Amino acid sequence: MRTSIWIAFLAVSAVGLALLPAYGFSLAFWFYLLLWITLASGLNIMAGFTGYLPFGYVAFYGVGAYAAAVAVKMHGLPIWGGFLAAAAAGVALSLLFARTMVLRGIYFSIVSLALAVICRLLIAAMPEDVAGGSYGIALGFSNPLGAYYAMLALMLATLLAVTWLAQSRLGMALRAIRDDPDTAETIGINIGSARLKAWVLSAVIASLTGAIEAWYTSIVDTETAFNLLVSTKAVIFAVAGGLGTVIGPVVGTVAMLIVDDLIWQRFPILNVFLLGMVIVLLMMFLPSGIVGSLIRRKPALRRILF
Amino acid sequence: MITTLLVQALISGLILGALYGLIGCSLTIIYGTMRIVNFSHGEFVVAGCYAVFVFFTATHLHPLLAVPLVFIGFFGLGMCLYFLFVPRLSRSDDPEVASFLTFYGVSLMAGATLLYFFEADTRSLNYIFRPSVFKIGSIFIPTAQLVALAAGLVIIGILTWFLYRTIHGKALRAAIMNRDAIQIVGVNINSLSALAFGLAIGLAGTTGVLLALVFPAFGPFSGIDFTLIGFVVIVLGGLGHPVGAIIGGIVFGVAEQVAIVFLPQSLSHAVGFLILIATIALRPAGLFGKVAMR
Repeated sequence: MRTSIWIAFLAVSAVGLALLPAYGFSLAFWFYLLLWITLASGLNIMAGFTGYLPFGYVAFYGVGAYAAAVAVKMHGLPIWGGFLAAAAAGVALSLLFARTMVLRGIYFSIVSLALAVICRLLIAAMPEDVAGGSYGIALGFSNPLGAYYAMLALMLATLLAVTWLAQSRLGMALRAIRDDPDTAETIGINIGSARLKAWVLSAVIASLTGAIEAWYTSIVDTETAFNLLVSTKAVIFAVAGGLGTVIGPVVGTVAMLIVDDLIWQRFPILNVFLLGMVIVLLMMFLPSGIVGSLIRRKPALRRILF
Repeated sequence: MITTLLVQALISGLILGALYGLIGCSLTIIYGTMRIVNFSHGEFVVAGCYAVFVFFTATHLHPLLAVPLVFIGFFGLGMCLYFLFVPRLSRSDDPEVASFLTFYGVSLMAGATLLYFFEADTRSLNYIFRPSVFKIGSIFIPTAQLVALAAGLVIIGILTWFLYRTIHGKALRAAIMNRDAIQIVGVNINSLSALAFGLAIGLAGTTGVLLALVFPAFGPFSGIDFTLIGFVVIVLGGLGHPVGAIIGGIVFGVAEQVAIVFLPQSLSHAVGFLILIATIALRPAGLFGKVAMR
């Protein structure tokens, strides 16, 4: 029943969000809201469902943005070619990094972070006609409205994928891997193949997000495309909502963006300090996130929240 | 010509590496004892830089005289932070993720506080050593770096003596080895962890004092760079191994400085990270660590 409520909610929001631009709302705010929801959900697939926290998640985002930009600028493809290139790049990079999943806990996270930094430095060092060097690439055109609808489509696809994942056998396998990988292997789950599927899915979501964002702003450069803040914010939004839940990343992103906006408006001087304090208070008092803590306090809510 | 550059790079790599190793050592003490990921560690190092800056601007005395003051002050700060955050975090389901995010919040607060008090301009310590440079053969070494190296080695020596010869140090190493066993033997893990946290933060601040001698400038948000280096160093050396962290730091520092001789500046930064990846590929638990695979 909770799935039907959720799907209905998604359908209604999809219609509402699709009609938003016609009413003159700030496209930027809504675009980035959709972007962070997608990134947080993509991260949730790895962190919440499979139990790996990739600090270097931004590597896929950046590689996707750069793949799209290179395809469009250097090879003259239309933007759809750029998206295909981004997805391919995401798959390729995730397959390349798949070996790191044998590592445990913080080792995995730090190695993932190191790989993201290496990606950034390598791309920045490439010659200008290959990947724009350290100046970045200007696509030469942008289509904020088109990007908004593309982002909306990607977000809906991501949320539907996560909803399906939560109830499928693959999702159960992933949760088993998260909770106890050795036991999971003992009862016959192929942990290598299961987590690889989650890894590639998660990476493609991030790389497509990067490509769409490149289409929105028309500029791609190493500082913003590989900025660690992208990973950090995705983690914070996902954890604030509740890792391992389906609606958690959505709730967390909306809540944190509202809080962030309020802080910026009211306290222009102390905003970073207050943001830090909000994060600390959140982790101290709601360690399972908003949705996670609600489910803990009142397990009966599992009928409608997941 | 190239050999002179190489020797120069090796020496500055050694100096920087010892300091990176100290950062890693304090970070690994926290992780080893409490399984807490202190993402704000770099901010305390930078706070140490600012502390010696304030000390020097106020008293114009030799910066190394600030070391005992900074250590004691930061030790107290560390113990306060411990009692504020850690007992609650240790009891949560996933102390690593919870602590990572909590201390990320603390790092934002610390960075913003430093920004508020010291403004966004980078500061530098303007203490002039006489002579300002030592010349050995054809190698030039700034005196400030030599002083920092000497002080760093002394601190590493004291730390090693503390960890291996005193009862508190041995208790700390025992807690890192097996947290449950040391409680069975009767040690109060709470006060031991508080001591460890205080020690680590005190060490971070002291390392900041030394770094202020070596680096030309620092700003309120330089902390993230030090945190990143700290984590790379401790994973390289093996989590929970103080000596491993120091060795990892030296390897990282030397690799970075030697790479600058041969590669453009931006790529040289990647070499340290590549060494980390290579080490983990060959020894998943780091140079001295145990059990990291699943």
